[in-house]
Amino acid sequence: MLRFLLRRLLWFAITLLVVMSVSFTLMHSVKGGPFDNERTLHPSIEANIKARYNLDWPIWRQFLDYVGPLNLNEKRATFLGGDGSDVWGGVMTGDFGPSYRYRDFTVNDIIGQSLPISALLGVVAMMWALSLGVSAGIASALRRGGKLDLALRLAATGGIALPNFVIASFLIILFVFWIPLLPVAGWGTLQHMLLPGFCLGLVFAAYIARLTRTGMLEVLSQDYIRTAYAKGLAPRTVILRHALKGGILPVVSYLGPATAGILTGSLVIERIFFIPGTGSHFVNSATNRDYTLAMGVTILYTVLVYGLNTVVDLAYTLLDPRIDLENE
Amino acid sequence: MATRQGRDHELSDEEMRRLLKESKGIKGESLWNDAWRRLRKNRASFWSLVFLALFGLTSFLVPLLPLPSPKALTLQIEPAPPDWPWGPERTYEDESYEPGARPSVEKGSFANNGWRHRATLEFTAPAASAEAIVALVEALTNRSAAYEAREVSGEYSHFLTVPLHRDDVPRVDYSPTGVEGTLTAWRVEAEEGDEVHYDLKVATELGTVTRWSVEQRTRRGKLYVSAEKDGATRSYQYEYTLGRNIAGKPRMLTLNGTLLPIDDDSVPRSRRKHDLQTVETRERISEPHTDLEARVRTALGTSDLGAATLAGVQIENGYWDLGALDEGLVHLRGRLFGSWQTGNWLGTDPKGQDLMARILWGSRTSILVALAATLCSLVIGVLYGAFSGLKGGRIDNLMMRVVDILYSVPFIFVVIFLITVVNEYRTELEDVYGIDREVIFFVVIGAIYWLTMARVVRGQVLSLKNSEFIEAARVIGASTSRILLSHIVPNVLSIVIVYLTLTIPAIMLFEAFLSFLGLGIEPPKVSWGTLAVESIEAVNRVHVYWWLVLFPALAMGSTLLALNVLGDGLRDALDPRLRGKD
Amino acid sequence: MPLLDVQDLFVRFDTHGGSVRAVDGVSFTLEEGETLGLVGESGSGKSVTNLAMIGLIPSPPGTVQAKTIQFDGRELFGLDDVEMRHVRGNLISMIFQDPMTSLNPLLSIGRQLTEVLELHKKMTRKEARGVCAEGLADVGIPNPERRLKQFPHELSGGMRQRVMIAMALLCKPKLLLADEPTTALDVTIQAQILELMGALQHKHGTAILLVTHDLGVVAGMADRVNVMYGGRLVETATTDDLFGTPRHPYTSGLLASVPTLAGDAEAELFSIPGAPPDLAALPPGCAFEPRCAHADTRCAERVPPLEPLAENAGRAVACLRAEELTSPAGGAS
Repeated sequence: MLRFLLRRLLWFAITLLVVMSVSFTLMHSVKGGPFDNERTLHPSIEANIKARYNLDWPIWRQFLDYVGPLNLNEKRATFLGGDGSDVWGGVMTGDFGPSYRYRDFTVNDIIGQSLPISALLGVVAMMWALSLGVSAGIASALRRGGKLDLALRLAATGGIALPNFVIASFLIILFVFWIPLLPVAGWGTLQHMLLPGFCLGLVFAAYIARLTRTGMLEVLSQDYIRTAYAKGLAPRTVILRHALKGGILPVVSYLGPATAGILTGSLVIERIFFIPGTGSHFVNSATNRDYTLAMGVTILYTVLVYGLNTVVDLAYTLLDPRIDLENE
Repeated sequence: MATRQGRDHELSDEEMRRLLKESKGIKGESLWNDAWRRLRKNRASFWSLVFLALFGLTSFLVPLLPLPSPKALTLQIEPAPPDWPWGPERTYEDESYEPGARPSVEKGSFANNGWRHRATLEFTAPAASAEAIVALVEALTNRSAAYEAREVSGEYSHFLTVPLHRDDVPRVDYSPTGVEGTLTAWRVEAEEGDEVHYDLKVATELGTVTRWSVEQRTRRGKLYVSAEKDGATRSYQYEYTLGRNIAGKPRMLTLNGTLLPIDDDSVPRSRRKHDLQTVETRERISEPHTDLEARVRTALGTSDLGAATLAGVQIENGYWDLGALDEGLVHLRGRLFGSWQTGNWLGTDPKGQDLMARILWGSRTSILVALAATLCSLVIGVLYGAFSGLKGGRIDNLMMRVVDILYSVPFIFVVIFLITVVNEYRTELEDVYGIDREVIFFVVIGAIYWLTMARVVRGQVLSLKNSEFIEAARVIGASTSRILLSHIVPNVLSIVIVYLTLTIPAIMLFEAFLSFLGLGIEPPKVSWGTLAVESIEAVNRVHVYWWLVLFPALAMGSTLLALNVLGDGLRDALDPRLRGKD
Repeated sequence: MPLLDVQDLFVRFDTHGGSVRAVDGVSFTLEEGETLGLVGESGSGKSVTNLAMIGLIPSPPGTVQAKTIQFDGRELFGLDDVEMRHVRGNLISMIFQDPMTSLNPLLSIGRQLTEVLELHKKMTRKEARGVCAEGLADVGIPNPERRLKQFPHELSGGMRQRVMIAMALLCKPKLLLADEPTTALDVTIQAQILELMGALQHKHGTAILLVTHDLGVVAGMADRVNVMYGGRLVETATTDDLFGTPRHPYTSGLLASVPTLAGDAEAELFSIPGAPPDLAALPPGCAFEPRCAHADTRCAERVPPLEPLAENAGRAVACLRAEELTSPAGGAS
């Protein structure tokens, strides 16, 4: 287990380094820099700005300062509220630096404000996806070939085929305008979360339903299910105790990609429902040339996806005693 | 029994020949025949294939279809509901020419009539002469005109839009005249409250600048100059490109700048920013671009509308920049259908643009982008995977590790980042290398969607390399090329096709997703993503413009659904091992 | 009264390819403590017979019909699902062919064993664990307490079959249905398992219905043997009689195709010509007629009934020419 985690960590470090250096190089290769083209500045002011963001340093030094863990920037803290004596700094210490666009805010401030919102949205979406997907998949598998199965499979194919913003617009018309049950946009209460969460989770519910159905059918055709019936167990017990665990194993391994997908989908959903989450900040930063924010979110989400994938792999071993992580 | 067996072992020559002949007659069913038969048996997949073929063909031929213009700007402010071809003729109660009222004449699909070009004429005249002006223009052009008026401090500006058909297209003569000069432009900053506006000033020594324009996105512009040549005043048209320093972020610029002589000092030098960038003009000369303007001026002169003056004529194209092929198709359309076009059968969007035309043009863009990106991912993925699989060993290990690393990166974020960075170089790329945004777009998408393809191809090659039937083929003496062509390629190809049909919808979704976020296809061009943004922005509590949501969703949904169903069907047909597994 | 009395059992599967009559009017009885072998080729309907008795034929596509399935004085045919569940695993247990796939890989051995006792004997899990450990010790598994915590993949094939047997015997059933219990095992393990089954049968007095295609297993274990072909019984006899004087041509063929150590190693092994019948399209007459060396015109006309032999009331043969072909060598030419 420990060896597995260490190996994961090593690959993770490599991945992160690649992501950081590629995006850092791209960001600094842009002609004119992030502050060009907005307002023509007096040379001295421009120099001031460059100095404030350390853009006057050689690029390797900027990179080292950005990555960390040593703080090379004795000035940094002075305009961000620190006292300038920090020894540690940079991404490795969880410090993404100042935002280029939101003056007087660090990327950490912005992420700190918006991430809980996005995380909550993601959790709601995942809950929708799992509850709908697993129950539809089981129902479909148990009624294989029946009308319910056909209807659920059609719905799942539709859910996979239609992008979430199309589904969102239909649902907004339905539940906000025609049958005014839910608020149209904003954030704060449970009602605000239901619809965005649902729209975000639906695609994954469809995939999960498919996976559950296939998994359950596979398991239900196994010999040990017949053994369980031969023991005299009731069908409900057989399905819940013997079949379900094996049937949802594919779903568990899908949770990693699903998390990445939900993070992606949140970009669109947050924009449609005007939710002030990390996703909308990211899209804004991309169009605003707020490179530090864009990079910070990219790195953060890489860490999140990687970490959650590892958690999913660990969870898998708990469910399936046959998996041995050491010899992966 | 023994005797019979003995005879079996010693075949006569004649019998041997007969057997050989018979064995030649035995033909196994090829993989493709078998797959096609299976696919045809799978009704859902088969009809998906038919639908996709028809829809794809329609989308490809969109420039040929007699549709209204997909980008026309009108004076309309509200989306019009579907105007079914079998529905009743539409009538409008309000036909008066009240300033600011609805367009005067809205027969049929007035707004988009003139799929190729339209002209907007601006008059300065008292409010009372509105009807007379409209009557004048309509009589002159023999077309119904849209009308709108704006009042600025007691003075009325009247705007009339008339469709121009193929015959009205201005004929531009691009022959060089030898007239050359420089264009000078600078920005002037003016602060109003918190907002900063920039005025772009243009001056040239070529002659009197009558009109100029610049397209914000491309920084390309047109300059109309009237100058004396050979004793006569003629109009010249120049094209130019502004440097980076002049046109900044589009929303920062107010582009109806003032025209000044080059030595004008009314703007102090201190307030000029990015002073005096010299702009290269690409010399183009034209005959007077259309005689409409002249005809209107003449008509005005002879009419009793003494106080009315023609402030300007603006000609709009019904399309964005089309490629050579599309231009050809549009010309063919003109020959086939003349000026006839369909009505707004599926309604219009908030800008009055025909929804059906936009959906079809949008499908075209989305499908083309998806196909090109898929091709891109296919090439990268197959080459990478095949190389890795064939090489094997350490190289294979390393290459697959790279794929693993890339897999664990949330790619969409990197791509968005990449696209914003690439956008900074867009003008340069377009001007210097002729690479436009769509190309960049599908190269970037293709460059990230090759991972699965590489894995699949590598796995297939690896298992084929060690499979017994390849061994068997080698044992019976088949040549390497024969093994490659008749065993490896078909086996890899089948799985590649299966993944291809699953990649295309994924890329379509991704394109729509990026366009939705404003990072993909940009207006005035249209794709499913931009259609979705428009629809979602138009929907509100008071008016549910259902057609804006429903029809694009139908086009998108049915295409994606068909692709998914076809992909599943192909997988069942081509890869028997996966059959029955959903 | 016999422990088990099956009369006219029919099992039909309705598939896309047509209706398959997997079991076609099978009748037999089984005494308490007796071992009855059920022999036949793959697809002859022997496993289906087994499953049909405890109502494990999936429906659809399967349908079961029977005049009666009497077990210990109680009618099993037509029992509702709840009552049937009380019989299964409790009064009648079953062991399956492949111990590798018959245990749930995701649950511990202990969990899979205790749930039987929790269900049928209403024990708590703690009590059940004790009984299960004893059960495992009974089937010769050392260190049973530790085994209870293990998962199936940590056990060898023979061990798993022992676990299956222990599981089947937990509730001390009166009848054990053994469906090819040794087929998937190595030969040495096979012998151990058979020995174990014999010993346990002796100890608990359990009747065993042993389904197998392995005549050696039958010879070692069974008191009586039923031979099945094409979904029908073709011969029933005591083990000694059957192996001594097979009366049905098919039985003779089966016996002749068993290799013997005493035989000539160079000689070609006998095999019955032709292929097993297609159950979806059985011939109108004797199902074995197309492959039978002794068939005549009558055989193709009607299905021969299973009739007791005149000389021995204990055995019956479904062959029209059984009386003519008295010599055992006649069937195995």
